[in-house]
Amino acid sequence: MATRNMHRQTFWLIAAGTFVLLLSLLLVSPAGAEPPAQETEKYCLSCHGNPDLSLTLPNGDELSLYISQDDLDHSVHSSVGIECEACHNDITEYPHPELEYQSARELSRAYYQTCEKCHSANYEKALDSMHAQAAEAGNLDAPICTDCHGAHDVRPPDEPRSLISETCRQCHTEIVDTYRQSVHGAALMEEENSDVPVCTDCHGVHNIQDPRTVQFRVAEPELCAGCHADEDLMGKYGLSADVYSIYKRSWHGVDVSVYKAKWPTIWHESAVCSDCHGIHDIRSTDDLQSKVNPDNLLATCQQCHPTASPNWTDAWTGHNEISLERTPALFYVERFYTSFTPFVLWICVIYVALQIIRGIVDRVRRSLS
Amino acid sequence: MSAKTKRSLPPVQHERTFPRFTVAQRWEHVVLMLSGLVLLLTGLPQKYREFSISQDLLSTPERIELIRQIHHIAAIVLAVEAVYHLGRIIYLMAKRRLPGDLLPTWQDVRDAGHMLQYLLFLRSDKPKFGRYNFEQKVTYWFVFFGVLIMGISGFIIWFPVQFTRFLPGGVVPAAKLAHSTEAVVAAIFIVIWHVYHVHVERTNLSMFTGRVSEEEMKEFHEQEYERLTRQSESNAKPGVKK
Repeated sequence: MATRNMHRQTFWLIAAGTFVLLLSLLLVSPAGAEPPAQETEKYCLSCHGNPDLSLTLPNGDELSLYISQDDLDHSVHSSVGIECEACHNDITEYPHPELEYQSARELSRAYYQTCEKCHSANYEKALDSMHAQAAEAGNLDAPICTDCHGAHDVRPPDEPRSLISETCRQCHTEIVDTYRQSVHGAALMEEENSDVPVCTDCHGVHNIQDPRTVQFRVAEPELCAGCHADEDLMGKYGLSADVYSIYKRSWHGVDVSVYKAKWPTIWHESAVCSDCHGIHDIRSTDDLQSKVNPDNLLATCQQCHPTASPNWTDAWTGHNEISLERTPALFYVERFYTSFTPFVLWICVIYVALQIIRGIVDRVRRSLS
Repeated sequence: MSAKTKRSLPPVQHERTFPRFTVAQRWEHVVLMLSGLVLLLTGLPQKYREFSISQDLLSTPERIELIRQIHHIAAIVLAVEAVYHLGRIIYLMAKRRLPGDLLPTWQDVRDAGHMLQYLLFLRSDKPKFGRYNFEQKVTYWFVFFGVLIMGISGFIIWFPVQFTRFLPGGVVPAAKLAHSTEAVVAAIFIVIWHVYHVHVERTNLSMFTGRVSEEEMKEFHEQEYERLTRQSESNAKPGVKK
């Protein structure tokens, strides 16, 4: 009897223990699923929410340690639970370990490397970029992830689209200001046009390359053709989508395509799009300031053909098909060679063919007789 | 010469030949042929760059430059020849000694009609041709205008900036198209027409030897043969002075 009681007691003990364990699991697990980050953000901001919090680095840089709640609220990271410790993974306790950076820049260049943890593809692309090369060459101001994307206030980089040009403008002020006067830039700034190219459409995003190289130059017509050979897109703006295909047949275009196919590393002087239309200052042909406006065309040609006279500009057939109104000489020559000459050649062929037949027949007749 | 042979009257069978082209004319043909060939061989790879043989030839930018220089040198040679030819025509015209045998006549049209009937088995006799038959006249004039077009358009695209000082700019792309197309047209013509008539139909090397045999004279230039023999019979003077 006593042993049975003992057994019953043990059973209840185990049952109670299991119940408490299950209960604790039930109670604890939702608490555990909640990102501890949210806790760290609140925890960290208890100090770093103080606008006056700052630190002087050994080189004399005043480093503000203030993080605004507003920045964090609008960042793409905080809202999905990626918080302070995701990047500041060297700080796990308070008091923090001593900072070993000499300058604010050095600190940024150290911390941005944590971007690689999640964004390894883009991070690696950026390492191949012109910017990374500049840094390697010793320019520590060359941009790193956080310079373009922000650190605590990382937001979608293209909302609105014009923000991209603003980001680049931080360093490339003059170029972006020129771009904003261009037909592309003006449409972007005025109406947030989603068709016009922004900086990154031509230069690339993370692996931005030096645009002054032979490789960039020789590939340029295809770059522009990406949009300018697109019939739907060009039709929307009343532009011809044949500009690229006609250019390819032109003197300049043939030269460039030969170089591209055979000697992509050898510099060539034959004109590519930007040589005539401009680079960041591309304007509509009707714009009086356009380099290819009829009034300015001669000067543009003279960049390469310095002794060209006013008649010269008509030698450029533009990006237009042969037509009687625009290029009468070309029109008649083309007509001559598509109608009269084939006619004459066919007559020659038929005549010679008849001669051959008659010759064979005569020979056969002679051998039979 | 023919008259001399006739006068001495050797009893042995002797192939009689007739003079056809002067040394100067034969040299002109050699220069035209060689410079034309060089121009074609250096020009076609530039036009048809996509062919592998062109790619091999134009393998470096320096090679392109070299090929263009050869093309230009050959162009100058042909231009000099063309100017000589035209100059000689003008000189002979001024002296009223230009033989008219190469000028197209109504007789050529009639001959062509006759020949066509013969080729279509509607007639059994060939027309009696004069010194130059209409086939040869077609060759001459086709090449004449071909060289003219190639020369003018070639120099325009060689010196486009200079030409547009006094010519409208539109001539440059027109010249480029003409040069590029005429070259092929001329090449096709020479291969079909000229090569057939002087190498396939019969081997006619009179442009190199300068002379034509009596046989050929009878068969291909019967009218001229009759004229010459009549002439040499009636008056003992050499009858081919032209």
